[in-house]
Amino acid sequence: MKEDNPAIQAQNISPKVASKTKRKMKSREMAYYFMVLPAVILFAAFHTFPALQGIYYSFTNWNGISLDYDFVGLKNYINLFKDVTVLDSYLFTFKFAIFAAILVNIISLAVAIGLNSKIKGRNFFRAVYFLPNVLSVLIVGFIFNFFFTNILPDLGEEYKIEFLTTNILGSADFAWIGILLVFVWQACAFNIILYLSGLQTVPSELYEASSLDGANKWQQFWKVTFPMIAPFFTINMVLSMKNSLMVFDQIVAMTGGGPGNSTTSISLLIYTGGFSGGEFAFQSANAVIYFIVIMLISVFQLKILQKREMDM
Amino acid sequence: MKKTIAILSAGVLSLSLLAGCGGGEEDSSDGKVKIEFFHHKREGMETIDKLIAKFEKENPNIDVEQASPPEPSTVLRTRVSKSDIPDIIGVGGDMTYKDLSEAGVFADISDDKSLEKVQPAYVQMLKDVSGLEEVYAIPFATNAVGVIYNKAVFTELGLEIPKTWDEFIEVSESIKAAGKTPFFHTYKDAWTTLPSFNALVANTQGDDFYSELNKGNILAGKRYKEAAEKMVQLTEYGHKNQQGVGYNDGNTAFANGEAAMYLQGVWAIPEIKKANPDLELGVFPFPATNHADEVKVISGVDLILGLAASSKHPEEAKKFIEFLLEEENAKQYIQEQNSFSALNGITQDDPSVADLKASFEKGALTDFPDHYIPTGVAPEKTLQTLVLEKDVDAFLEKLQKDWEKVQDRK
Repeated sequence: MKEDNPAIQAQNISPKVASKTKRKMKSREMAYYFMVLPAVILFAAFHTFPALQGIYYSFTNWNGISLDYDFVGLKNYINLFKDVTVLDSYLFTFKFAIFAAILVNIISLAVAIGLNSKIKGRNFFRAVYFLPNVLSVLIVGFIFNFFFTNILPDLGEEYKIEFLTTNILGSADFAWIGILLVFVWQACAFNIILYLSGLQTVPSELYEASSLDGANKWQQFWKVTFPMIAPFFTINMVLSMKNSLMVFDQIVAMTGGGPGNSTTSISLLIYTGGFSGGEFAFQSANAVIYFIVIMLISVFQLKILQKREMDM
Repeated sequence: MKKTIAILSAGVLSLSLLAGCGGGEEDSSDGKVKIEFFHHKREGMETIDKLIAKFEKENPNIDVEQASPPEPSTVLRTRVSKSDIPDIIGVGGDMTYKDLSEAGVFADISDDKSLEKVQPAYVQMLKDVSGLEEVYAIPFATNAVGVIYNKAVFTELGLEIPKTWDEFIEVSESIKAAGKTPFFHTYKDAWTTLPSFNALVANTQGDDFYSELNKGNILAGKRYKEAAEKMVQLTEYGHKNQQGVGYNDGNTAFANGEAAMYLQGVWAIPEIKKANPDLELGVFPFPATNHADEVKVISGVDLILGLAASSKHPEEAKKFIEFLLEEENAKQYIQEQNSFSALNGITQDDPSVADLKASFEKGALTDFPDHYIPTGVAPEKTLQTLVLEKDVDAFLEKLQKDWEKVQDRK
């Protein structure tokens, strides 16, 4: 729409042709605007606007239902840093997210390499590994909840395996591992697909050339495959880290944040405290801080990993 | 042409999304007045359906719709915050009632004639919980917490119903010695620690606990000590996987005779009977202390009937509330729900709760202490840690701090 479109200026063409092209460009641009407009409006109405409202409420003492509320300035933010429950939930979430992101990436990459090789029933296996992604997270959570509560303890009794006889979801020290297992199992599906598409972009000539030079499979992976799929590694790292920082459904279905607060993630704390706990404004402040934290982490990851892509 | 279609379809799409948010408030087209009854008794939906059918027969121009979603308190709060308030609201006499009253959701019914039908103790309970002089809802049904026990096991081992705490522990010891499980604890669901904790706290926290609380003094850290120690003691008489099973598992296990006693409210009885209709069970008052005469049974308001101030059809809504308060209908509700009535002269005659009857008759009742703890404190989470770690001091300190913290934020 801009009059000084650099693309047109740069080309040395007659004004008549230019104006014609311009008009053509204009109508094409209009079409593009119409394509993005509905999404922008919906996004603004259902995402940006509520987010701004949340920031507004974080400076008040609104409890979520009362008719009036007062501005309290930064009080919520100050209380946030004094609250042990909030601190504990940050520690849990980061511990969880780091383990989850690393495990998801290692496992997905390994499985993707397997699924990319010429094995029998390759498409069947691809479908099997993708299946968890289309299942509802909550239902998977409930199924595993049943598995940990009823099936595993029975197996433990049967085969005299002591640590299996009690439900690990009821243990303050190990409940998070149960949730981690389910999370990783389900999250891998999507990352495998991303890695698979990455692996298919690696030209087979590179492998031929490297094997002529006498590289073994291990060297091929580190010197050829891994550098070639670096952009996919970046996006997978960022996405899986972000997703595991937002962990919510699995916890609701499996432990409800317990025992005690040992598996209360930040998202869960914001939800339970904000809606049923009557601390809407306080948890809004928590959400604002958490939004900033996630954004910083994502930007930081992108910067570091993209720099690494250049170096390779 | 293509562009027009694109714009149109985008417009239609976004409009239909918006339409999904609004609407639903119109009266039905056949001229009937539609009122909504929102309540938190999911177990009672069937009974209420029957009562609604009867009401609609008597009042063909009124259409009553009931709603009872999971996580009712959260759903209700969300609906109130966007001013989509049901005509009749049925919650417990707890912090949700307090918050809704303070928010001005209910119509003031302090002078309503229907209140005369209600036992004054329960009206007082609502006043105490909300800390307000006005009454905003009619107490309808009440519940009770006791010790649910398997009669067959008690007869087999020749045990008497314990009247004091020491006898209670003795009974548990003999059940354990006989190779059976005394209690089926279900600590995986944090809230299932609350019934026994409430019974213990109510009998040990001291009479001036609430009056001090109203002055701003939180005494939880000091006064909950005895209750916390007894909670820890009770964990010794559970089963091996008590940290790992929840409420539903507990109901089934107790129904199948896996334990002699079960620390729950009477609301669990219909669920237990569903799992095993032949089980002979009873409920005795929780012997929280060694002073048998002073032990009070925990009984709180389980279901209130509150008229929304914003209701468009207050007359019709009131009519339905009055219908529920009629003796015959109130009786049907408590019989099918195994609960107790807040109304004068309506008694629960089910043999399973016969042992509680004496307490009800002499008025040895007291409200749930956790109805006075602000929702943000979430004592059940701290209790779940207590029964796991068994560290009484840490529990008291955390609960006290959490309570002060929430009060500070107001």
